[in-house]
Amino acid sequence: MADELKFPGNGAGRDNDALDESLASMIRDVYEPPGGGEYWAGLESRIMSRVNSRVAADTPWWNVLAPWARPALAAAAAIFAIAGLVNQQLGEVDDQVAYDSVVQSVTPDVLATSEELMSVQRGADGATLSYFLSH
Amino acid sequence: MRIPDEERALAEAARAGAESAFADLVRLHQRRAYLVARAIVTVHEDAEDAVQDGFVRAWQSMERFDPSQSFGAWVNRIVANAALDITRRRKVRTTEELSDALRSPFRDPALDAELKTRLSHALAQLPERARSVIVLHDVEGFTHVEIGEMLGIPGGTARSDLHHARQKLRALLQDLRG
Repeated sequence: MADELKFPGNGAGRDNDALDESLASMIRDVYEPPGGGEYWAGLESRIMSRVNSRVAADTPWWNVLAPWARPALAAAAAIFAIAGLVNQQLGEVDDQVAYDSVVQSVTPDVLATSEELMSVQRGADGATLSYFLSH
Repeated sequence: MRIPDEERALAEAARAGAESAFADLVRLHQRRAYLVARAIVTVHEDAEDAVQDGFVRAWQSMERFDPSQSFGAWVNRIVANAALDITRRRKVRTTEELSDALRSPFRDPALDAELKTRLSHALAQLPERARSVIVLHDVEGFTHVEIGEMLGIPGGTARSDLHHARQKLRALLQDLRG
């Protein structure tokens, strides 16, 4: 569909006072752009290049990242889940280690300390008895 | 005016953001848009700038375009406005410069060079609006109302401008026509 087909020719708007068709044709030639289909293809290309650059300029920067939103969310969820599992596993191990370390190391010490206290107590009681007996 | 289904479909697609549809509209209408711009600015480079500016503005305003109307008429008005903006910015250009520009190398070498040169001189001597009106009406076939819409003047003013422009051009071309 050429635009010439949509617009009536010069005849539609012409009247008796109109310029001669030959003169109108000459003016058309004077105002004709550099010829050929290549010129129009080039002009179309330049126009669309400006339109495309305008589209790019009008697009917010976050729209560039929009296609990555779903993969990024899925990756983040997976990382969070894995981190939770690892944390849970490490927590259980830590608890066990802590429990074991408390149970295994504190009990003998406590016993030893009790014995020491008792011996000290006994020593103190003996000293008191010796004092009373000597006076 | 009946709008062809193809153009209406393209305009609706372009309104929805389809750049390929807009490119098709550009391909359909750029030639006539160029002639509209050229009638106003006369210089090839300015006309091309006006066409590019006009189509970019049209793209930015597509959401305001009514697809039941003619895209060609709408974009021609925008291009005409862009051309008028250029002429306002370049009011300092002299008649001599315009004549020189009209002798730019974008010509069909088969045409008689002297006739074209004299015609270019005659057109350059017309007032800007008179030249635009006569080219848009007698060469491109736009109606007075359409020309009025493009140039921002009443249709009746376009009609009277046309009458005076024809008289003046004929007087300037007496030798040429003889």
